[in-house]
Formats: sequence, structure tokens, C-alpha cells
Amino acid sequence: MAERGVIRLESLTKSYGKVAALDGVDLAVRAGEMVTLVGPSGSGKSTILRLIAGLDRPDRGRVVVDGQDVAQVPPHRRAVAMVFQDYALYPHLTVRGNLLFGLRVRRVRRAEAEERARTAADRLGIADLLDRYPDETSGGQRQRIALARALLREPTVYLLDEPLASLDAPLRFATRADLLTLHRELGTTTIHVTHDQAEAMTLGDRVVVLDHGRVRQIGPPQQVYDEPADTFVAGFLGSPPMNLVRGGGVLGGGTDLTLGVRPEDLSLDPDGPVAATVEAVEALGSEAILLTRCDEGTRLTVRTDPRPGVWPGDQVRLRADPGRIHRFDADTGRRR
Amino acid sequence: MSNGRVSRPLTAWAFLAPYVVAVALLIALPALLNVGYAFTDHTGLTRDPRFVGLDNARRLLADGFLADSIRASAIHLALAVPLRLLAAIGLGLLLAAPRPGGRWFRVAVYLPTVVPDVALAVLFLWVLNPLYGPLNQLLGLFGHPGMNWLAEPGSARLAVALMLAFPIGEGFIVVLAARRMLDGRLYEAAALEGCGPFGQLRRLTLPLLAPVLLLLAVRDTILTLQVNFVPAYVLTDGRPANATLYLPVYIFDQVFEFSGFAYGAMITSVLMVVTAVIITALLLMVRRWRVLR
Repeated sequence: MAERGVIRLESLTKSYGKVAALDGVDLAVRAGEMVTLVGPSGSGKSTILRLIAGLDRPDRGRVVVDGQDVAQVPPHRRAVAMVFQDYALYPHLTVRGNLLFGLRVRRVRRAEAEERARTAADRLGIADLLDRYPDETSGGQRQRIALARALLREPTVYLLDEPLASLDAPLRFATRADLLTLHRELGTTTIHVTHDQAEAMTLGDRVVVLDHGRVRQIGPPQQVYDEPADTFVAGFLGSPPMNLVRGGGVLGGGTDLTLGVRPEDLSLDPDGPVAATVEAVEALGSEAILLTRCDEGTRLTVRTDPRPGVWPGDQVRLRADPGRIHRFDADTGRRR
Repeated sequence: MSNGRVSRPLTAWAFLAPYVVAVALLIALPALLNVGYAFTDHTGLTRDPRFVGLDNARRLLADGFLADSIRASAIHLALAVPLRLLAAIGLGLLLAAPRPGGRWFRVAVYLPTVVPDVALAVLFLWVLNPLYGPLNQLLGLFGHPGMNWLAEPGSARLAVALMLAFPIGEGFIVVLAARRMLDGRLYEAAALEGCGPFGQLRRLTLPLLAPVLLLLAVRDTILTLQVNFVPAYVLTDGRPANATLYLPVYIFDQVFEFSGFAYGAMITSVLMVVTAVIITALLLMVRRWRVLR
């Protein structure tokens, strides 16, 4: 008997019409782990959730949950709960009705169902909303209602499809912490989809970077950030993205290489080897981003402290931290 | 721009004017006149109607044909409205999902609506023909001897309701459009909870469509009370035994066959009141069911 909450995806392939959504995805998720799927839109993140939930069937490959191939298992018999991006709350039912929906379908006794709904509502701090309709609640409250509804499934796996995307920035920050706390308390395997890098970095034990239906890299967030497997991952994770210079150029190196350096690994240094002109200064309060252009045309982004004392048009010299220069194959883009 | 703002109500009224004028002249004014004529002895032939007070109202109470007519209309309502709604909702929900050939099925459902009433009625005369009509032949396949549809009160009522179950295009389109506007994720969420197709129909589709269905029910009630003239006139002419002597048919008979213009106006007023009462009852009932928030 396998441990509860273990998921294995094997060569998972799925097309919608002529559009290939997934192209041979392999992934093993450990019990109790929180894994974040990240990638640009159309990279196949949500498709993976839909295949695990059973809302779609793979063209090829297997979804194995708790050691069992679930190809023939209908969605409601899979021990998974999904929180949809727009929450998919039933608009004609009160919050209580939304929470009780699944319990009623499964014919749980009324008293027990009420009790369980109340416990879930208490846990997520929405007990005072039970008699409201979804359109009478705020975005953050709706997200909690959706989570409470998922909680009531008592699943072995939670699937969260961009659960924070509809929230405004301050709320997103707070909710991110709440989600982590909830995950720690429940200890249930969670797969979480996002296109937001901050979420990818902070939520999750491991991050899976996807592009065009393929896995580009899997690993702990900091490791993926520090050692991106290829130029796609390097350019995708991090804001502003890593400076990538084909052929090495101002960063040195051979023509068969693409060299990369993160903006925070470049610094202003009067004796630095790279001469550049400041084109723009973005002061972000806690830091500043300099957009510079080298004499031969290469653009480099530099992250500095908030008041660097340089202005657009200034000539500056830059130095890259030699230990933080990333080397990629110029043809394949793979890390060397 | 203050100019634009000042002229906006004027523009609105300018666009509304043709409709408002037409409604006032062609509907509101005749309706008011109708109520006025109901208290005269107007025959429709002379120009000097006299006020006769409640004479026509007293005649109503003693009119056995009117009682038959109200009964026929009530039974027709009870038969035709559920049948038409069931057909429109059932077919609308069935054909809302994309499926191969779905477009042709949708066209087929709408087609009877563009056929003129009279043509459809004549077609049904053939369908219902006891000797060579396809309906009896179909029944024959199952060993049923067939029926003389338009000769028996019960089957004649059924026949008219059956014919009116075909021109349901507008209701069908409304259900189709409303169903397609429902969020597919709600259904996926329900499927994850173990809600099957019938559960989804009962717990999601019908409650979510309730406001639309109510609108259709109200509209169909009004329509069914009034737009049964052509089939009744062509198929049965109010017979047998006044079974299809619906109120519009009886009003027509009074006004144009018997020159009882004023009495016809009185019955028309009764029809308006009856319609209003039924709609109010429907809305009150629905409010108790709380399908509308």
C-alpha cells in the first residue's frame, strides 16, 4: 500500500485539437509535498491539474495516485480537491449551500454535514459569512470559501489553479502566508499552479518550470533560481530577468556560449571592465533598476541600492560577480 | 461636453418615439376604447353606441357558452404551457452542448416557428387525418386502431396542444443562449463532487436558469391564452362540444359572426383580467419558492 498523497505522472501527453498542451511530462510528487507548477500561459500547467483531477483524459501516459493508475477512475472517486482560478462558487447558493453541496451529493447526514461545514468555515475564518451569497463577499473571502469547500472533500491531494490570481497585491501577500500555514497544518500533498514568480519562489517545496507542455526544470525554488537548467528558465524566473548575452560579448567567454548574469550580480564599479551608458533608472523605493546599454549594443539590467546617484545619459562601468556568471550552450540553451 | 449631455435625453426620446407612438395608438388606446365599448350596446355596424351600464356584464354571468369557453381555455393552458416549456427547455438543454450535427438539429427545432400558423394548421389537418394521417399510421405500428382526433373533445384538445408544441423557436433560442452563458467550471466543480448529469440538471442548471424559465413561463402563458385562434379555427372551429372554443375564438364569433361588438369587448376585458390574475398567481407562487433573489 503506497503512502497517501503520492502522485506520479508518467510520459503524460495531451492535445486539444491540434494544440499540444502536454508533451511527455514526468513528475513525481512526494506525500505531503507542496509543488508549484510555473510557466507562461499555454505551458500546460492547468492541463496537468485537469488530468490529475480527471476532468480530462490524457492522450498517452499515466496518472498514478497513491500507487493506483487512475485512468478508469471518475473524478469524484479520485481523492483530489480542486480550487479553480475564479473559485467556481455556485452563485445561486449561500456560502453554507456551497459548502454543503458536495456533502449533500454524497448523502452525508444533515446534522453531520452541517457540523463539518461549520468546522471548515471556522478554520478558514468565514463562519460569519455562511448566510451570504457569493456575490455578497469579497475576493479574499471567496477564495476562503473555495478552500473551505475543498477542505470538506478531505482529499489526499489539493489542486490549486492560480488561487491568488484574482486577488489584489496586498491581499495576495497575506493570503500566500495563510496558504502556507494551512498547508503546514494539514500536511496534505498540494499541487499549485501559478504564472507569478513571487508565488513560485515562496509557495512550495519544489517548483516545476514548464514551457510548451514540457518540463524544463524541477527543484527547490532557490536552487532553480541559482542554477537554471537552461536559458528559458533563466529568463523566466526572476524579475527583472537574467541578462543573457549570446556569444559572451561584454561578459567574456567563447562564441559557442550564452552567458547569463542576474541584475543583482552586476554592480557599479569605477574600475569595472564593462563600459555602459545608463538609459533609464527605475527607482522602486527599496531598490533601483538601471537599464544600461554597452558600447557595442548589449543591454544589461542592473539592480542597485535605492539611490545609486546616476542618471540617464551617465557613463558608468559595471562589474559582474565572476562566481555568479551562468554558462549556457549557445545552440541548445542548456546549462554547461 | 455639456451640449452632448443636454441632448442625450432628447436623442433617447427621438429613438423611442416611433415605438411609443405605435404602442399608444395601436395598443393602449384600443385597449382603453375596448373597456369603454364593453359598457355600450355597440354592434360594430352602426355609429351610435349607447351606454347600457352593466348589461353586458350581467349577460356574461348567464352565458353558458362563455363558461365552456373559459373552461376550454383553462384546460388548453394546463396542457399547452407545460408541453411547450418542456419541449423548449428539454431541446434547448439537449442541443446547447456542441455535438456533431448539432447545428442541423437546432435548425430543425426552430423551423416550425417560421412556418405560418395557417400552414402549420393545415399540415396538422393532414397529420391528424383519421384515414390516411401519419399519426394514426404510427399508432397502427404499435397495434393501436388509431383515433378520430378532432371528433372527440379530449383528443381534439390534445391535438391543438400538440400542434402548438412545435412552434417553440423563441423559447428554445432563449434556453439555448442562457445555458451557454452558464460557467462551465461550475459543472466541473460539481462533477468533482460526484454530481452526475441529472444531479447537475437539478442542482445547477434548473436553479441557475430559474429567472429565465420564469420569464418563459409568463410569456408562454400570455401567448397560449391568445395565440390559439388559428389552430382552433382551422382545425376544429371551436368544436367538438365547445372543447376548443377558446376565448379568442369565442370573442371572434361574438364580434364578427353575431355583431356583438360590445359583448365581445366585455369578454376581451375578462380575458385581460384572467391573464393578469394568472401571471400574478405565477409570480406569487415563484416568490414563495424563492428561485429569485
